[in-house]
Amino acid sequence: MDVNDLLIFNKGNELAQQNFVPKLDIEPEKIEEILPKNLIRGELRIPDISEVEIVRHYVKLSKINYGVDSGIYPLGSCTMKYNPKINEIVARMTSFSHLHPLQDENEGALEILYEISKLLGEITGMDGFTLQPSAGAHGELVGLLIIKKYFETRGIVKNKIIVPDSAHGTNPASAKMAGFSIIELKSNEHGEVPLDHLEYAMKQGDVAGIMLTNPNTLGVFDRQIKNITKIVHDHGGLCYYDGANLNPMLGICRPKDMGFDIVHLNLHKTFSTPHGGGGPGSGPVGVSNELIPFLPIPCIVSTNKGIVCNYENHESIGRIKAFWGNFGIVLRAFVYILSLGGNGLKRVGQIAVLNANYIKTLLKKKYHLPYDRICQHEFVLSDKYLPNDITTEDVAKRILDYGFYAPTIYFPLVVNGALMIEPTETESKYSLDKFVDVMNQIYDEAKNEPYKLKNAPSNTPVGRLDAVNAARKPILHD
Amino acid sequence: MNYEFPDNLKFTKTHEWVRIEDNIAIVGITDFAQHQLGDIVYIELPEKGANLERQSSAGEIESVKAVGEVLMPLSGKIIDINSILTDNPELVNSSPYDSGWIFKIEFTNKLEIDDLILVKDYKRIAEAEN
Amino acid sequence: MDFISHDEKTIVEMLRIINIPEIDDLFQDIPEDLLIDSLDISNGMSEPDVMDKMKEYGTKNKIYPHSFLGAGCYYHYIPSLVDFVISRSEFYTSYTPYQAEASQGYLQAIYEYQSVISRLTEMEVANASMYDGSTSLAEAAIMASIITGKNQVILVEGVHPEYIDVVKTYCWGQNIELKITSEDKLNDLLTDDIAAVMFQSPNFFGDITDVLALSKEVKEKYPKCLLIQCMTDPTCLGLLKPPGKTDVDIFVAEGQSFGISPSFGGPGLGIFTAKKKFLRKIPGRLVGKTKELNGDREGFLLTLQAREQHIRREKASSNICTNQALCSLSALIYLVSLGKTGLREIANQNFQKSHYVKKAIALIPGYKILNKKPTYNEFIVKCPNIIGLIRECKRVNILPPLQVSTYYPEMLDIALVCVTELNSKDSIDKFIEAAKLANNNEEESAN
Repeated sequence: MDVNDLLIFNKGNELAQQNFVPKLDIEPEKIEEILPKNLIRGELRIPDISEVEIVRHYVKLSKINYGVDSGIYPLGSCTMKYNPKINEIVARMTSFSHLHPLQDENEGALEILYEISKLLGEITGMDGFTLQPSAGAHGELVGLLIIKKYFETRGIVKNKIIVPDSAHGTNPASAKMAGFSIIELKSNEHGEVPLDHLEYAMKQGDVAGIMLTNPNTLGVFDRQIKNITKIVHDHGGLCYYDGANLNPMLGICRPKDMGFDIVHLNLHKTFSTPHGGGGPGSGPVGVSNELIPFLPIPCIVSTNKGIVCNYENHESIGRIKAFWGNFGIVLRAFVYILSLGGNGLKRVGQIAVLNANYIKTLLKKKYHLPYDRICQHEFVLSDKYLPNDITTEDVAKRILDYGFYAPTIYFPLVVNGALMIEPTETESKYSLDKFVDVMNQIYDEAKNEPYKLKNAPSNTPVGRLDAVNAARKPILHD
Repeated sequence: MNYEFPDNLKFTKTHEWVRIEDNIAIVGITDFAQHQLGDIVYIELPEKGANLERQSSAGEIESVKAVGEVLMPLSGKIIDINSILTDNPELVNSSPYDSGWIFKIEFTNKLEIDDLILVKDYKRIAEAEN
Repeated sequence: MDFISHDEKTIVEMLRIINIPEIDDLFQDIPEDLLIDSLDISNGMSEPDVMDKMKEYGTKNKIYPHSFLGAGCYYHYIPSLVDFVISRSEFYTSYTPYQAEASQGYLQAIYEYQSVISRLTEMEVANASMYDGSTSLAEAAIMASIITGKNQVILVEGVHPEYIDVVKTYCWGQNIELKITSEDKLNDLLTDDIAAVMFQSPNFFGDITDVLALSKEVKEKYPKCLLIQCMTDPTCLGLLKPPGKTDVDIFVAEGQSFGISPSFGGPGLGIFTAKKKFLRKIPGRLVGKTKELNGDREGFLLTLQAREQHIRREKASSNICTNQALCSLSALIYLVSLGKTGLREIANQNFQKSHYVKKAIALIPGYKILNKKPTYNEFIVKCPNIIGLIRECKRVNILPPLQVSTYYPEMLDIALVCVTELNSKDSIDKFIEAAKLANNNEEESAN
């Protein structure tokens, strides 16, 4: 069956409807009077399609797509927790959705931005926040530009950033966008940052800072964290916290106390805003007092005249996005924090870690667990001892046949054949047990019926796709 | 390990092979390297006529899951590039030492040839990385 | 409410299986002095209580039934189908479709988005989205610098001032020299060292440039110089000649006008397109079509991932990971709901209505339209008393146009007026009336 027949563009006809256009209530002129002929376009190749066909088409597509409302989504470092529906209702209230970013009479919105900055400050310990970044990676760029500006204003030249080999790919990419080059540190056998290597790297004198995720992508809390940040500070560097793995730390521990100067958060991970199939997200950045002057403009500040926007930060790194950031997403996170409260947030941290350790305990009976210790919100298995040449990819594809989504595969790079699992706190024991059952069944199949994994997935709309040809001869639109 | 290691070639630590013919060096990547990358989907060739230093970047090779840089084994001018690879990058996988050659250098410093690695030493490097 | 399903019994059972006495022991790796007892945040609220609180915040925002404010964020009609589709939780609660076989629904939708944007703009390649118009323009500058190997770019005045600021920040990050110039001085600045010329059309003040003419002018002398166009309201493409027909190399736009509510400025949608020859340097995700390895069925997947940060890491040209996927789905539904007939008519109504207002205002003594080029749905007008105009608008419940001096303090008494298909004749008449009344109170003019 040729998928092209099923593209929406093939469902159009000449039935030109204008159901979504208001009636023109003024006398129109000839368009050529308003727009010169040479600026008018020729054909517009978007077909007219009937409303019923559109609805059926996208309902059908939604049914061959898997969301966290469909079942467990154990992707490591993604924190696919339940997306509360109350957030969606609030985001659609016209008093928020219809608000123009450039109008005044917006005190409600500014108050929300201010309040959530305070709440995120309490959660992380950081002193000042910007809510402008649109995503975690965007927040990383902001944080690194702040580091860059910090040294620039002091007339110090430091152009390297240290990143452990377990870091998310965005870390080195963001550092490069801010003009830094990378020093990669190899994690030790415990999955932690080796202090002696760190000391050596810092002694070279040109390191501006370190980017760390803690707990890291192995799900391991680096017990030496305070020593790490101290070594970096002692050598005049700054410490950046990648907040992608903040979920287990909510109400338990704070990045500021660990010694970090800059933190980014992923509202679409820790704070329940929907992933939306890849976005939109929001990546607020929190900083220590010393770095507040460098935050992007505008800053939301509280004055005796109320909450206002400050454009006067002369040491600011500048603007990093038009308007105020992804307000619709920040709003959802605000509702989430209000819904949970301090007590609820702490429960999130506790149960996220409980759930991860629970399935780890059950799965390590059959699967190889390279770092066999208490994990935080996630842990990593590998395909090391799987029989019959079964790989991580085979396992992942077979999980799809059972109607679940597969965990993250082949990341972090420090583990060969990595299978990175993060259940999150919103999975029930029933759901966790079902997932473990499926993983155990798949292991048995690997032993006794390996062809089932090699041929997987066979229960999905398509089987394994030819990624090589897709990249050699890309077809990116119809 | 069953990769090909032709003994009439010289090698670099970064997995390029070199065949010297008078004052021209023909360059490609080794069988080991193409295997590490997997199915190659795209090759960014250097610009003909470019003058590049030894160990600088002469191009990139992409597979679905990885990217590798091709470094200049010797300093010199790029006098020819294997343009067939633009539409047929898989040649580097199937024939890394033959039709999968990548570019030719008119090298400027004969002494640099001494820094290239012999086949038995390259074999050891590949084994260690395996 | 913490959305956790376990009761106490379950937790005890799970701890037993893990062989850990109590929950606190799960955090044994954390140094004692780092552990906190609790957060200084009040207890959680139930749904009705949260709704009450949010409604309270909402009452402090004034929502006007009619608006003449644009400047980068626009009020257009959003078809009912848009929210219907993006509310399907299989779409909005899903992750980036890395496991292609379980995500064919969303992957096909993104492929359709890339296709519809290609059709609309006539550009050869569209990616799966960037954050917004401003950051798309900034990343386009970086992309041009990488393609050409040059680190100077020219930006022509008329680009949205907030976009200019964002481009400045990104260029500073990458040590790219940004030269800002007026259109008439562009030729003086062009040299072989320029990676790209960036401009906006229709621009911040409303002017529509003859892009084909600009293209020829730049590329005749400097064929390797890239032309980057940005746009803040692409609904004009229903009638306006698209960038693919005017030799633009990289075209970016803010897609908020395509079915995304203003929402105080975000989330928006960064539309990013380019010529096919630059494909391998495009940032962001791309969805491609392919066949099964062991079968005949066609399917969709994320492709050319070797460009992206998770593979290239510090060699990536962009760090973008999360994009604006759900907003791109909104845009897709908007564009197919309207179809070519609807899109043409929307563009037409925007042209017609703003032209109508332009003519009416020009008749009022003291008001002067400043645009010399054709305009779409925005234009700038010199007012005799802009403070009065704003006051009179609010008095009849109209969201007033932008005071341009907000961004350009030297441009006093100039309003940036936006008129879309949602401005009824009634609201237009009210606006004209307000303008007349403001004129009569001249003594209030700008101090």
